[in-house]
Amino acid sequence: MAFLMRKGVSGATATRAFSGFGSHQLLHTPKIEVLAQHLPLRIEFVDTREKVEEILPTLYEMVSDGLIEVQDTNVVKHARKSPKPESKLPRQRQEGHAKMLRVFLGEADKWHDEPLYEAIVKRLRMLDIAGAAVYRGILGYGAKGHEHKQSFFHVSKDMPIMVSVIDSAEKIAAAAEAIEGMLEDGLIVISEAEMVRLVRSRQLREASDATGSIR
Amino acid sequence: MQPAQSAEILRVHISESDRDGGKPLYEAIVARCRELRIAGVTVFRGLEGYGATAEMHTAHLVHSDRPIVITVVDTAENVQRLIPVVAEMIDTGLMATSAVRMIRVQKTA
Repeated sequence: MAFLMRKGVSGATATRAFSGFGSHQLLHTPKIEVLAQHLPLRIEFVDTREKVEEILPTLYEMVSDGLIEVQDTNVVKHARKSPKPESKLPRQRQEGHAKMLRVFLGEADKWHDEPLYEAIVKRLRMLDIAGAAVYRGILGYGAKGHEHKQSFFHVSKDMPIMVSVIDSAEKIAAAAEAIEGMLEDGLIVISEAEMVRLVRSRQLREASDATGSIR
Repeated sequence: MQPAQSAEILRVHISESDRDGGKPLYEAIVARCRELRIAGVTVFRGLEGYGATAEMHTAHLVHSDRPIVITVVDTAENVQRLIPVVAEMIDTGLMATSAVRMIRVQKTA
């Protein structure tokens, strides 16, 4: 681990397994005290291809007894918490033309065993949409034709839900397409909006750093 | 992706304590929409607000007087047909419409 850190690998994790066997042809379990010192260990790190290729020969030499594997991965999200408090960041104001997307669905709608509205919000997050809000209505009807209502004696688990999102036209188009694939019955509504966005977050600064436009 | 139709969204802002006969006004409006074969209606309850009478709408100890927003999305003609009907029903309130593009998803038969 010290070697990987010195080499500037972005991150590495050593995990100890509960039991296993391998080149020693010995079952490593924590049952016998002596063997507890010999539990299976796995060190894993993700970095660029060049970095891995640079380190691999040394690792090959260091590991006298064991297994090294290299595989291609796709980094889906690489987030870093900034060490400093974020309150010092200047507040940014973004103003401009945007689109508003509203999705009408039912609270009981599911997507792979989780509430559909939660799945939609997660998907929107993956699509890097600026923000989303979920509203629960108290009464309504729509695509399913039945009334969503609850009274004192009857607690309905299927109240109307609206997910509302505001972002640029391209992002909204992508979001609409993704949501359409997830929706069973429902309604997607897109309208024009004027957006004033006030952000005091690292996310925006990183985004503008990437494009190099605002600083 | 299904083609988006142009449509209109209507939002009716009223109060939870508004009544029509014995029942809440929002329930009466939803029932009326249904009679008029409006495609869909959703009623939202806000946390706090104020409006025409400049009186704070919030949850009181014994009764609740929170703002209500009734949202309707349908074709422009249906929304236009609905507006005078709702206008007749509400005492004080507000209606706002905007033009939208609508995608109706209905995969189950």
